[in-house]
Amino acid sequence: MKGNTGKIININLSTRSIAIETLPEEWYRLYIGGSGLAAKIFQERGDFSLDPLAPEAMLIFMNGPFAGLKLSGASRGSVAGCSPLTGHWGDSSCGGYFAPELRYCGFDGLVVTGRAAEPSLISIEGEQVTLLPAAQYWGRGTEEATRLLKEGFGKDSRSMMIGPAGENGVKFANIIHEGQNAAGRAGFGALMGAKNLKAVVVKARKKEMALADAEGYEILRGDLNGRINDALASSVLRENGTAANLIGGVYSGDVPVKNWTSNFWEEAAEALNGTTLTEKYLTRRTGCLYCGIACKRIVEVKEEPFAVPEGGGPEYETIVAFGTLLGSLDLAATCKASRLCNDSGVDTISCGATIAWAMEAFEKGDLTREDTGGLALHWGDMTAVLDILLPAIVKKEGKLGALLAEGSREAARRLGKGLDYTAQSKGLEAPMHDPRGGGYGLALTYAMSARGTCHVADPMLFIEMGARYYPEIGFEYILEPQSEKDKAAAAAVSVALGAIENSACFCQFADAEVTIPDWLALFKTVAGYEWDAEEFLRAGRRIFYLKRLINGRYGLSGKDDDLTPRMRAPGSGGEADGARFDLEKMKARFYEIMKIDPESGLPTKAALADCGMADELDKLTAECP
Amino acid sequence: MLYWKDSQEAVTAITGLFAGVANDPELGESMKKVNQLILFDYSESGPGCAIWVDTRNGKYEFGAGDPPGAPDLIMSLSADDAHLSWLNKLNPVMAITRKKIRVKGSATGLLKLAPKLKKVAVIYEQVLKELGMEDKIVK
Ligand code: SF4
Repeated sequence: MKGNTGKIININLSTRSIAIETLPEEWYRLYIGGSGLAAKIFQERGDFSLDPLAPEAMLIFMNGPFAGLKLSGASRGSVAGCSPLTGHWGDSSCGGYFAPELRYCGFDGLVVTGRAAEPSLISIEGEQVTLLPAAQYWGRGTEEATRLLKEGFGKDSRSMMIGPAGENGVKFANIIHEGQNAAGRAGFGALMGAKNLKAVVVKARKKEMALADAEGYEILRGDLNGRINDALASSVLRENGTAANLIGGVYSGDVPVKNWTSNFWEEAAEALNGTTLTEKYLTRRTGCLYCGIACKRIVEVKEEPFAVPEGGGPEYETIVAFGTLLGSLDLAATCKASRLCNDSGVDTISCGATIAWAMEAFEKGDLTREDTGGLALHWGDMTAVLDILLPAIVKKEGKLGALLAEGSREAARRLGKGLDYTAQSKGLEAPMHDPRGGGYGLALTYAMSARGTCHVADPMLFIEMGARYYPEIGFEYILEPQSEKDKAAAAAVSVALGAIENSACFCQFADAEVTIPDWLALFKTVAGYEWDAEEFLRAGRRIFYLKRLINGRYGLSGKDDDLTPRMRAPGSGGEADGARFDLEKMKARFYEIMKIDPESGLPTKAALADCGMADELDKLTAECP
Repeated sequence: MLYWKDSQEAVTAITGLFAGVANDPELGESMKKVNQLILFDYSESGPGCAIWVDTRNGKYEFGAGDPPGAPDLIMSLSADDAHLSWLNKLNPVMAITRKKIRVKGSATGLLKLAPKLKKVAVIYEQVLKELGMEDKIVK
């Protein structure tokens, strides 16, 4: 096998068994790697009746085929399985240095099952895999634990770990890498915690990789790196980070305010944008391994009450989730929120969104002082959020901490109130892009995403902005954001492209410069696949369908491809004032184009046959319409 | 060129726009915040011209031809697309993606200005009317 190593590690923490497995090469051709290959493994081996936190539950770490190949944006990794937050398929992408290191060790991924008898860690040093006790790291924040692990395993070791939130079973706990990069979404930190697994530490001994056409790849890599690094969007991201264009988002109505009750807060454009972050708090720029874009921030806030020492800074999602969404314009507070969330190991999107929901519930009287333990929740009270609420959630302390640690959907269900004003789909809190202002197509792909509301499941956000364009396959739509026109057709291509991005573990920012012929050349030179554009897109559709098939096994249907009433209400304020999308209309057309049965939400047999999913077809004949 | 008889006509209209922007207190202030020397190179197709605007250090000056120093940002596009973009009829992101606009240098200032394009378009229409170029307004 070329490109991928073909090998994964299977670890059962209960029995302490460690086995190296070679996966069928065909699986790579069909499902690429990353979240696609993880879905294939999960579909083959998963027990769909399990509680997401049961010891037998699978936790999958999976690389893409380009990890470590010195190409900008190509070295992210996936974490996948049944989401503890949503109870169905989930996957999450993580940047940084872990995926390349794992590949240099000779592995494409690891599948962890079982529950360790004591706090443990998995050490992968070269090809040697060991299970070690980790009591000394348990209970520690990710910053301190990362430092201690580097002291123990060498400063060039790379780890994925949980913080106290994962240990305590917070449903939106994440997995943190190097203190700053997160496999943020879907709550896999809780699953890792339930397994008594504090960290996975990798350290390679060599950097050898076999490519199908090493010389051809080198030429392609040089060209792509040049184009990616020189692109205007890349220089904007490098200069001012992922919040660089928050200003444009504010004016278009894409930035949600106070739990999605408003689409416009003009002062946020100046107060929270990336340029302001650069001017006030930036000390350094950084990025994932081999990425010339370097969109990540290192910041320091000197002034109280939100002073933070130099360290990882907030990305756009965190700035909005702990900014306008909570009724705050305090950029320093977002820096502190980012740092605390990363150290505790919670997803900033779900955490901010759940707190925003709680603030509105308190304002409405749905949450009382009795529920909050006497704490008053007011928009913009960032001292209460950061000093009281966030620590309570991380520790699941008191009635309120325990309730909010379940995420917004479950909290509303338990409270028996407020489900209509959660902002989520399939239980995953919505990211900080509001389709009423940002673009109606995003509402469609939010609803269609297998893991729940997700802006990185596919590039629809960029497509509607006009930043993606594929003339080679006739994809030349000129889309009006606030219109349903052509959105289903664009989404059909977008979900296939997104499935490829997430399976190849390619960063969306870098992918903006990668054309379809570039993609084909990448797969050819690295893995030896002789794909044409149709075969390439078919791989994307296949992966998109597979995740829906998995969700079908969890009982999800077409009804679940939906957004909450809050997200579907007319937009309020600015450009998005009164904006209202017709999700049903876009959905019906999307199902038609994608050959998905509207009732079951499953791909039809014809759709599966088109994608060459003969094996899935045989297994699922009884279930597919 | 579709919209311009010659490059001088484009220069007259677009420098007229920059003068109009200067007279608008809000836009004038926004321009100063950009704090850059920007060169608009309108020679992508047909007879070309160049217009610069200098907002460095609280200034607001503009002119045609060679800029007074090394530009912080150069935007290259045709004079026709420039006309459409000032009328807010050309999605700048889409135009950049499709290589109709090429940008060299720091785009930070442009991002600050982008939300104001609607207001700029209103002024541009007014300027075109005043110059007797009403027929060039694209609805
Ligand atoms: S653009 Fe940012 S997130 Fe994407 S790979 Fe580069 S540094 Fe990582």
